[in-house]
Amino acid sequence: MVKNLPVVPSAKPGTMADAPSGIVWREQHPVIGEGCNQCLICTLFCPEGALKLDGRRVTVSLNLCNGCGTCVVECPQKAVAMVPEYQGDRGVFPLKEAK
Amino acid sequence: MTLNIKDLPQQDLFGPGNAACRGCGAAIAGRQAMKALGSRTIITIPASCMATLSGNNQRTAWSVPFYHTLFEIAPAVSAGIRASLDAQGIKDVNVVSWAGDAGTADIGFQSLSGAAERDDSIIHVCYDNEMYMNTGGQTGSQTPMYAMTSNQKQGKRTGKKDMLAIMVAHGAGYVASASISHPLDLIEKFKKAAAHDGFSYIHILAPCYRGWEIPTDQSVATARRAVECGLWELFEVVEGKKVRTHEPSFLPVADYLLPQGRFKKLSTEQIQEVQDSVNSHYGRGEAKQ
Amino acid sequence: MTVSLLTGSEAAAYGAKLAKIEVLAYYPITPAFPAMEKISKFIEDGEMNTRFVRVECDHSALAAALGASLAGSRTFTVTNSQGLLYMTEVVYHTAGMRQPVVMAVANRALSAPHSRFPEQGDAISQDASGWIQLFCENNQEVLDTTLQAFKVAETCRLPAMVNYEGYIQSHTQEEVDVPDQAKVDVFLPFKRVSALDINNPQGLNTVTSPEFYMDYKYRQNEAMEQALGLINDVAGEFGRAFGRDWSGVIEGYKMEDAEHAVVAMGSSVSDARIVVDALRAEGKKVGLVKVRSFRPFPTQALRAMLKNVGLVTVLDKNIIFGAGGALGNEVKSTLYGVSSVPVKNYIIGLGGRDVGPEEIRQVVGLAEERIKQEIGYEWFGL
Repeated sequence: MVKNLPVVPSAKPGTMADAPSGIVWREQHPVIGEGCNQCLICTLFCPEGALKLDGRRVTVSLNLCNGCGTCVVECPQKAVAMVPEYQGDRGVFPLKEAK
Repeated sequence: MTLNIKDLPQQDLFGPGNAACRGCGAAIAGRQAMKALGSRTIITIPASCMATLSGNNQRTAWSVPFYHTLFEIAPAVSAGIRASLDAQGIKDVNVVSWAGDAGTADIGFQSLSGAAERDDSIIHVCYDNEMYMNTGGQTGSQTPMYAMTSNQKQGKRTGKKDMLAIMVAHGAGYVASASISHPLDLIEKFKKAAAHDGFSYIHILAPCYRGWEIPTDQSVATARRAVECGLWELFEVVEGKKVRTHEPSFLPVADYLLPQGRFKKLSTEQIQEVQDSVNSHYGRGEAKQ
Repeated sequence: MTVSLLTGSEAAAYGAKLAKIEVLAYYPITPAFPAMEKISKFIEDGEMNTRFVRVECDHSALAAALGASLAGSRTFTVTNSQGLLYMTEVVYHTAGMRQPVVMAVANRALSAPHSRFPEQGDAISQDASGWIQLFCENNQEVLDTTLQAFKVAETCRLPAMVNYEGYIQSHTQEEVDVPDQAKVDVFLPFKRVSALDINNPQGLNTVTSPEFYMDYKYRQNEAMEQALGLINDVAGEFGRAFGRDWSGVIEGYKMEDAEHAVVAMGSSVSDARIVVDALRAEGKKVGLVKVRSFRPFPTQALRAMLKNVGLVTVLDKNIIFGAGGALGNEVKSTLYGVSSVPVKNYIIGLGGRDVGPEEIRQVVGLAEERIKQEIGYEWFGL
């Protein structure tokens, strides 16, 4: 059975967002603390675009975060902390956000 | 012109779900650049980490038209795209070729030189991790002197080919260096390139934690140290006139070099050699005399 | 309708002009460059509204044409020999991207040793690339085939090469009727298909896994097989509009009762017609099979044409080292299992070694002498 494919090898736009690969390898993810003053610098340093201003807070999308830790290092207010995904060999947090 | 981060668009035309390694400098550069370029952009990317992380099979991390080209030809393909848009009377679209150091300075050099010489209305971006990372980290012309790579464990014996000077020598109307550590500077430069009618060249320092042997959270900090020690000068050349866009604080070069595994075998003499070359470039210290 | 004395280069240039190409890219190479310069002159004289990308190498020429095609323009390029080989990477890629780029190839021998003279080895080197390959016997056919090639390519979404020999055809003048632009516009309308469309973004050519690659290639091959019928249909349509059709994929000349068939492609076809006429006048039942479409190869039609012959002689202006001539090998595989007629494959005219009617007549005689001998392939003219 030959698969049904477009004539020109192509992909529809923005389609990796719902099948991110990095999150399965994530060992830690950031938590944004009280010190955050919404300067938004972290949103420009995240390789995945996981940090966004949501109303009056900066939030982390666990659907996109790979756990690289750049935001912790770069936050001028030192308002971001990492929490581990695992205790021993057990996952503490769900990998993806519930829909 | 002071850019306010709050004025930047929240939407990511590149990024969400991309297949980059954790903390990838290239992915950071791509996200920052698209804040400036916007949705009326067509982007061609030759074989590189960027092309690979941009998508696979029926999925892509881009929300603008994107085309993974053969290795050598992104600038030539972009020239063809621009010619077609001109023929169609479409004037408000950015045509960008986004290549790594190989696709810009080595295998892609010929087509880049052609596009620059013709003054094609495209923006060529080099995101530079100073080695051929997509094939495991071999030496290229953009690898700095003494850096260890996957195929040169003794360290590179020649210096980094000066692509910015080469592009200026082609008469390119807008040439700029940038760094992921200085995003607002980078974004302003992309806006200027987009407004420039003719060939533009932007060269971004985008560290790769795997190749540079640094922790995953240090890509931005390492790029910042490259800028602050003076090794990576942030400047732009507009119609041949050079303007520095950031004054470095002149951190000792050792503070930049030694935390990177690829420079761990540097001798004190070699570090001094690098420091002297920086001093000489900026007209500072003993080398000035 | 205007009849002019045109070289093959000029005929190809008129083809591109009448097709109203939007973007042109080329890099000069001998003896293909006169076609390039002629088109540039049309543009500079305001007779063509075409954007020209003055690339810095042949590889970039096809790259720029491909980029423009992806953005929705009708595009064209010209090359041969070293330039075509240099472009090979982009040649295969263009076919895989399913872009209807048309390329005129002024066939020339391949280095080493360095030769600038005619031969078909350059086209043959691209036989697995996925491009449609049509071979022209004279300059009128070059112009007509260029127009037909755009139509075929844009219908089946495969790129196409229009082949004619360097110097013999590219630099020799013949009478060529240049069709009216208005009639060409009716035959060859333009419909914009943009894979890189700013209003409809998509990501092209992402890294493809084993799960999908083979399926893409299957569809590409399917398009190539469908092109057989399409080439014939387009030829028929062209014939009704302009009075010449060039017979589609294959032509039989005096084949109805032929006992000995000569199979050839390119300029040798017109010389072979002269030989067939002369031999017929002497009472010999010789016929000519002109292979016009080398890719896709007209297997069924060729089998039908060779059904009742007792001997087949194939002329090849190329060599696949250790394996014979490309056309000879195609003919032999076509006949395998359906016929045991002897096939004599002659390697002729490499690097521009002259082959005219006299030489072809000698080859026909040699083949008949050797009819009972088992010879894979032989060289003529050494």
